Amino acid sequence: MIDRHKHLLTPLAQGPVFKRLFSYAKPHWKWLTIALLLLIGGTGAELIGPILIKIFIDDFLTPRVFDLQPLLLLGGGYILLHISAAIMNYTQLLLFQKIALKIIQKLRIDIFEKVEKLGLSFFDQFPTGGLVSRITNDTEQVKELYVSVMATFIQNIVFLIGVFVAMFYLNPQLALFCLILLPMIITIMQLYRKFSSKYYAQMSEKLSELNARLNESIQGMTVIQLFRQERRMNREFQEINEGHHEAWYKSMKLDGLLLRPAVDFISIMALVLVLTFFGVTSLNNPVEIGVLYAFVNYLDRFFEPVNQIMQRLSIFQQAMISAGRVFRLMDHDELSPEKQGDDEPLITSGEIEFKNVTFSYDGKQDVLKNISFKVKQGETLALVGHTGSGKSSIINLLMRFYSIKQGEIVIDGNNLESYDNDELRKNIGLVMQDPFLFVGDVKHNIRLFDKNITDEDVIEAAAFVHADSFISKLPKGYNHPVGERGSTFSSGQRQLLSFARTMAKEPKILVLDEATATVDTETETEIQAALEKMRKGRTTIAIAHRLSTIKNADHILVLHQGEIVEQGNHQELLKQKGLYEKMYLLQKGAEKLGMVEEEV
Amino acid sequence: MKVFIDLMWYFKQEKWQYGGGILILIVVSILSLLPPYIVGVIVDHISLNTLTEQIIWQWMLIMFALAVTVYILRYIWRILIFGSSIRLARLLRNQLYDHFSRMSSSFFQKQRTGDLMAHSTNDIRAIEQTAGAGVLTLVDSLTMGGFVILTMAVTISWELTLIALIPMPFMALATSKYGSMLHHRFSKAQAAFSSLNDKVQESMSGIRVTKTFGYEEEDAASFREESDHVVKKNIEVAKVDALFDPTISLIVGFSFFLSIVFGARYVVAGDISIGQLTSFTVYLGLLIWPMLAFGWLFNIVERGRASYDRVRRLLAVEQDIIDEPDALTKPPQGDVTFQIEAFSYDEEEDSALQAIDLHIKRGETLGIAGRTGSGKTTLVRSLMRDFDIQDGTILFDERPIVRYTLDAIRTAVGYVPQDHFLFSATLADNISFAKPNASYAEIIEAARLASIHEDILQFDEGYETMVGERGVTLSGGQKQRISIARALLADPEILVLDDSLSAVDAKTEEQILNHLRENRRGKTTIITAHRLSAIKHADQIIVMEQGTVMEHGTHEQLMSRSGWYRSMYDHQQLETLVHKGGESS
Repeated sequence: MIDRHKHLLTPLAQGPVFKRLFSYAKPHWKWLTIALLLLIGGTGAELIGPILIKIFIDDFLTPRVFDLQPLLLLGGGYILLHISAAIMNYTQLLLFQKIALKIIQKLRIDIFEKVEKLGLSFFDQFPTGGLVSRITNDTEQVKELYVSVMATFIQNIVFLIGVFVAMFYLNPQLALFCLILLPMIITIMQLYRKFSSKYYAQMSEKLSELNARLNESIQGMTVIQLFRQERRMNREFQEINEGHHEAWYKSMKLDGLLLRPAVDFISIMALVLVLTFFGVTSLNNPVEIGVLYAFVNYLDRFFEPVNQIMQRLSIFQQAMISAGRVFRLMDHDELSPEKQGDDEPLITSGEIEFKNVTFSYDGKQDVLKNISFKVKQGETLALVGHTGSGKSSIINLLMRFYSIKQGEIVIDGNNLESYDNDELRKNIGLVMQDPFLFVGDVKHNIRLFDKNITDEDVIEAAAFVHADSFISKLPKGYNHPVGERGSTFSSGQRQLLSFARTMAKEPKILVLDEATATVDTETETEIQAALEKMRKGRTTIAIAHRLSTIKNADHILVLHQGEIVEQGNHQELLKQKGLYEKMYLLQKGAEKLGMVEEEV
Repeated sequence: MKVFIDLMWYFKQEKWQYGGGILILIVVSILSLLPPYIVGVIVDHISLNTLTEQIIWQWMLIMFALAVTVYILRYIWRILIFGSSIRLARLLRNQLYDHFSRMSSSFFQKQRTGDLMAHSTNDIRAIEQTAGAGVLTLVDSLTMGGFVILTMAVTISWELTLIALIPMPFMALATSKYGSMLHHRFSKAQAAFSSLNDKVQESMSGIRVTKTFGYEEEDAASFREESDHVVKKNIEVAKVDALFDPTISLIVGFSFFLSIVFGARYVVAGDISIGQLTSFTVYLGLLIWPMLAFGWLFNIVERGRASYDRVRRLLAVEQDIIDEPDALTKPPQGDVTFQIEAFSYDEEEDSALQAIDLHIKRGETLGIAGRTGSGKTTLVRSLMRDFDIQDGTILFDERPIVRYTLDAIRTAVGYVPQDHFLFSATLADNISFAKPNASYAEIIEAARLASIHEDILQFDEGYETMVGERGVTLSGGQKQRISIARALLADPEILVLDDSLSAVDAKTEEQILNHLRENRRGKTTIITAHRLSAIKHADQIIVMEQGTVMEHGTHEQLMSRSGWYRSMYDHQQLETLVHKGGESS
């Protein structure tokens, strides 16, 4: 990992994270309000139940007055209330979840779109695994924040408020007494939060240590066995396992001390409080037993929400960290080079010129030094040179994957930077060394996302690059499924598919990064023929490995350590008896030996 | 519930913990019945006007003592039961790790790392849940539920109890039904999530193609679709999830309604007091949890059983290379002879090795050349008994290698694999991997021999620099040289370098080879290489092709024939020239 990306690993601070999470909820305020109203309605309906029973006990049962009509009203009201509470609660629960899911979807899409906009300079350096886990796992954690924490917190807090409102309605004095429960509960919560965040961090650290060790051991088991370190590694793993166990045990003890048992303790104490209050009051004044009943009942319900909230506290903290990481990435500013200026030039003929281009990836070491060349319409330029000579960098620049600081690249008389992205992508076709296939079917891999390419176009493109012969042999032809990375296809077949994919767009300029590996002999002839046809009439820049490509090129640049050391056509270069001649002989030898060229 | 029987061995092993925990749980259940009873007593006293201050204080003191006792007991059973369950997790994890370390490489080729990780984390977690929360829920819901119902029936009124309980079975039914619906939909949501994950993985790996074609927008659109799918599946989950609470409170509400309506009649009839009715409703409240728990229990146990079966299946995989009962434990020294008629990897028809007859004298160097897939690695790995040769034998010090223990063979042979694997530890730790107690001097000596010492000194923290994600990024060549140093430190009788100089430049390669020659006098070295300069000086060189020896001789002998070796050698000479910019000719 390079310094420029290191800050992406530390999550954003809690304050700004909270603000941004909140701003994600804003667009949903209408539905949120409705959900909140339903929640209040449902909670209210549920809480009125005990009051009705209280009325029954105090006004009917104790004085033994049983008028049928008011009793029916009371009973009917009770049942109706419960049913409507159930309906309202179901709706609000679902609404909260839906809103949370929508929010997360938005967050996910935002982060994905943001990442897709980042330049290749970012992707070439930042590990893919990390990106995937930001976009999916971290947002999934944030989902927990909205789904369970937001919903649970709001719901339970509303419920608690409701309970207090009901208690105040019944007996303000006693309710006031019960208020002292709040600081007790808040103290326990704070205590729990304080310790659990520490223990939780310890535990998750130990867990990731454990998983890392396990993962590493599984991957490196051969090495462990070769050097007979199984016993030592077993012992070390046991130690890590023990460390994890200890952290877990500690947090379990903490849960035992401060979660349910503690809340249960407070709930019994609350009962003691209520009973004492009623008992003592009753010594001098008459009290309503129904009120006592209702209080006891409320207290019973009071503590479940408290338990719920406390159990979610650790999830809450974890989710905040994840959200912090997601937002950090969202703020990262390393975008792809964009169009400059307001002109809308078009690529018509495909003439390319590099003017004194000097380029460096890291700002320290130049990988291209003062490169100038020109390719006329329909001509082929071959780039030859060893690994690290700068061939790929020329292509990276021509594709506008990186922006240049020194020199200029001109296509059809206009600066590369003045072109619209679509114009550029439509007209410059790049065939990569290691073709990447997407999961889907053959057709999709040729057409990709272009809706203007019809099935006929797909078949035509495949036929053009000689890919149709093998495709038609597949059980499902063009609809044949392509698995992860196209691993069921041979490398030659993958090459042909990627040719077809490029040709379907009919680009004016072709950029070829030829595979170093010679593929199986059957497809090799087809690839050769395809390449020749593809180049015809198109301006082509090729990182060439095949002799046929090199020999047929109109112009050849020989690169060495970022500089053009020789140039000319094949015959001219051979006459110079320089580096090119050696490379040519080498390549000839390699093809004769039929070997895979090693990247030395 | 079968999983509880399957786990009986562990319950027996921890019988005091579980026994004690369950006993305390039962006591807590009984004690929980007291507060409602006390509520009833006080209410009755109030309504009958018989309450005195003394009665209040007396009962409240009991309540307080009760609260403290229950708090302590609850804490203790947690430690006992949950403590045991997380010890089970620790135990199973150690067993799995130990088991993995006995498996041969073919096991790791068949099993995906991700799956093995999932078994060691998620599955163990599910088993731990069963042995902890599962046991708790079972005991608690049975005892608590039983006691509460019993108390209601005995101390208040069995008729009223029956009436009040009518809605309760529906709750257990509903929660268990919802639970299985939830599980079902949840796995679908999970599948949608993992397909989203795959999509992101693919988009990130294929970003170059996407950018080449300018399809960022379209790719994002397809991601949006995928994420829509995830939302849909999750809403399906939410639809069931949201049913739980309203259903429960509805059913509980009915239960309360029934007990008040019918209870009132009993009060009027004088069968029970108002206080008893009040306690009754509090008892009813206590029943909610056991009923709920019973619904959950099925889900916990279900998952636990599936996970435990998977882990057991994994632990049942047998070791495929086993020492003979009276195998020699002394590491062999001496000549090595390959007499292989034929060998093929399981299920493959083509022979990976055939007709190899080769004798290496102690102290000699053998060079092996040949194209990728010609059998070089298979040949050297056979020496380490990575697999057993079906037809033929390998003699080490005139005895077949199967006569030695694996441990003895591995002591004698130091192997530097192609895919250099380093651990996330310091450089020093990596080099001294085979000999953890090696002195710094030994480590530095090994590093010097592998020509990596100078490189290491360049790092800020020298030999204490961490390797891996959190540490420095090493080049392929550096990693190779560290692997070589690691093997050298063990000073093996036979050193095998399996194409382990490929990423090292020519000059360094020569340096290392010189060091080896000086330092390993009298000990055997086997080198496989693509670059022939690495084996040029070997005492004998073989060129392999399709699992057999095609050319055999010294460098000079092979160069005098115009075979593969000769043309390859010439080719590589030219290559070197090109690499230098073509000027040194």
